[in-house]
Amino acid sequence: MTSLTKDSPGKDLGKSLSERKALFRENLAGYAFIAPWLIGFFAFSIIPILTSLYYSFTSYDILGSPVLNGVDNFKNMVQDKLFWKSLAVTFNYAFISVPLRLLFAFFVALMFNRDVKGIRLYQMVYYIPSIVGGSIAVAVMWRRLFMADGAVNSVINLLFGLDVSTSWIGKPETALWTLILLATWQFGSSMLIFLAGLKQIPHFYYEAADIDGANRFRKFVSITFPHLTPVIFFNLIMQIIAGFTVFTQAFVVSGGSGDPLNSTLVYALYLYQRAFKYYEMGYSSAMAWVLVLIVGLFTAIVFKSSSSWVYYESKEGN
Amino acid sequence: MQKRSYRIVLILSVVLFAFTSQLFATGQTEAGSSDGPEESYMRLAWWGNPVRDEKTIGVANLYMDNNPNVKIETETTGWGGYWDRINTQVASASLPDIMQHDYAYMLQFVQRNILTDLTPYVDSGVIELGKVSETFLSGGRVDGKLYGISLGTNAFSLVYDPTVLAAAGIAEPDSTSWTLKDFEEISMEIYKKTGKQTMPFSTTDPKVFFDNLIRQTGASTYAKDGKSLGFTDTTVLKEFYNMQLRLLEAGVLVAPEIAFVTVTAEEGQLAQGNVWCDYIWSNQLASTQAVAENPLKMVLLPQIENAKRPGTFLKPSMFFSIPASAENPDEAARFLNFFLNDGAANDILAAERGVPIPSDVREALKASASDVNKVVFDYIGLVADNSSAIDPPDPKASGEFLKLFRDTTQEVLMGLISVDQGVEKIMKDGNAILAK
Repeated sequence: MTSLTKDSPGKDLGKSLSERKALFRENLAGYAFIAPWLIGFFAFSIIPILTSLYYSFTSYDILGSPVLNGVDNFKNMVQDKLFWKSLAVTFNYAFISVPLRLLFAFFVALMFNRDVKGIRLYQMVYYIPSIVGGSIAVAVMWRRLFMADGAVNSVINLLFGLDVSTSWIGKPETALWTLILLATWQFGSSMLIFLAGLKQIPHFYYEAADIDGANRFRKFVSITFPHLTPVIFFNLIMQIIAGFTVFTQAFVVSGGSGDPLNSTLVYALYLYQRAFKYYEMGYSSAMAWVLVLIVGLFTAIVFKSSSSWVYYESKEGN
Repeated sequence: MQKRSYRIVLILSVVLFAFTSQLFATGQTEAGSSDGPEESYMRLAWWGNPVRDEKTIGVANLYMDNNPNVKIETETTGWGGYWDRINTQVASASLPDIMQHDYAYMLQFVQRNILTDLTPYVDSGVIELGKVSETFLSGGRVDGKLYGISLGTNAFSLVYDPTVLAAAGIAEPDSTSWTLKDFEEISMEIYKKTGKQTMPFSTTDPKVFFDNLIRQTGASTYAKDGKSLGFTDTTVLKEFYNMQLRLLEAGVLVAPEIAFVTVTAEEGQLAQGNVWCDYIWSNQLASTQAVAENPLKMVLLPQIENAKRPGTFLKPSMFFSIPASAENPDEAARFLNFFLNDGAANDILAAERGVPIPSDVREALKASASDVNKVVFDYIGLVADNSSAIDPPDPKASGEFLKLFRDTTQEVLMGLISVDQGVEKIMKDGNAILAK
């Protein structure tokens, strides 16, 4: 530190040595305070991420040591039928569940955006499904609901006098839909963000619109929606990432198997199977990096498109 | 001003650090200094279920009561999580002192020198095997060295509810003589008379049932070197599917959409009273019986036409092994002996891991066994007289093969592909997977 100051007095911009020292010490305190986070970030994120990048070019079964094998993992992926199957399942899941969940969260948030007595309680109740997440309780409940003699069939039969005995969760054509429903049901976090966004919209816009005689639909289209686009943008990005990396729900509902007939074998679940059932750490690391690329691509597309549909207040002002 | 705030921060962090390290220090002394200098500390890991956990922890506590200088820390998870954990511990060189092991993975661990040869402990008498016959030990041997001691013997079985057969007026099957044809007729008859259905063949892992049938022909599922399938004649495989399809068509078989869903024991078809039989390993009888309405019975799987040998085999249900990295292998060996031979310990364990291998323990337990365990003990006795030698441990690619077999079975039963297509898929893709 001192030698550096000596060598480059010209760059010292008028700061004395003691001042620099004080600055350094002050920074040191700052670093000390974020050290726990930094250590965690390096130990549990950066280092594992880089290690997995290395593993993706190796053959590694945990018991032995990794052996470099070039791009073999990626070549094998092209040939792997289940890889493509899991990719298809994940795309299906993401493209259906993300819009559904956002729409649902949005409408519930609109419903909750008013001053009714006890609204806080409702907000809390509707958030609960998001907390239970991918717990075993949800898995058991989902089976009970969608089994052949489950609650869903009972209700349908009771209401419409039919005799439906489809095992929604056991049929390859319908099993993924139960997961999509589960995702839609767990809309809580998106809803809260929408709600926060709605509360941010200044009241005088609506008052002005009222004076102009705008109806509710007009107000929604011209005031509410444009103001919410940054929030929608944020939610969309978060949900796309969550959608492509979905694991827990598929894992618990199918018991980790991707049953029936791999119809719920989402990408992350297949990656997990390759890693922890067949002990192909190299292959699964490579799969993880392909997923990173895919998610990155879709995020980039959404970012690119955002300039044409996301409105920021500061820009509007200009 | 700034200097002062910096000082406050410094003091605060020092205080915090001192405080936390103080906590760590007290924590450590509390854990470490219960009984003088001869303290020995040991970690014990197994996979299991709540019942097994309770029994195993009970034995560990009993051992600690008898040996106050020993402290045993237990680690338990379910089957899936267990191997994730063990493999991580292999990679980080932090394996426990005793670990439960499985026949399927034993060979891989031995080849990588992860396990200790137990022969010296047997020779020195620390582990007593005087009352154990060699047939029960062979599963734990690799190249003449002993790497695992079987904690119980297991065999695959067909479990059924005798009251259903009685209601249908059908004689109970005779283990040593009944055939697949008998099985089909009984299933049809029961459905006609009582409406009770039949489970598809071992839905969690259909290969287990098929393996039993193919072994009856004298072949086995995998070739000796594990690099290909061990059979070329597909007659048995075709019949394996055709029979299930015939039963399915008649409405006798539980629909695959229902039968292949992974469920808890309580949600199972047998527990719900929808079927007359299921296919389980003998050490699963206790948990199967716990949720069943009537006392269950076990028989050998039915015979194929022109069977050359019994398909059933005695399987070491699980082993205890001592990793080479164990910090305290001598104490671990002493505990293993206690676990294996001690009467009080085995009273607690109550054969939950399978029928114990020392003959005196077996006899003692049989006298006081619960009704369920008596059925299991008798069944293992029956298998001992009607079995053939166990196949070598599963090859490395078996996980992927089992998935192929299960997926193909579902596709055939759901009518998505024909039997011939299914058989071709298993033969072609199966060989490709194993050859990798």
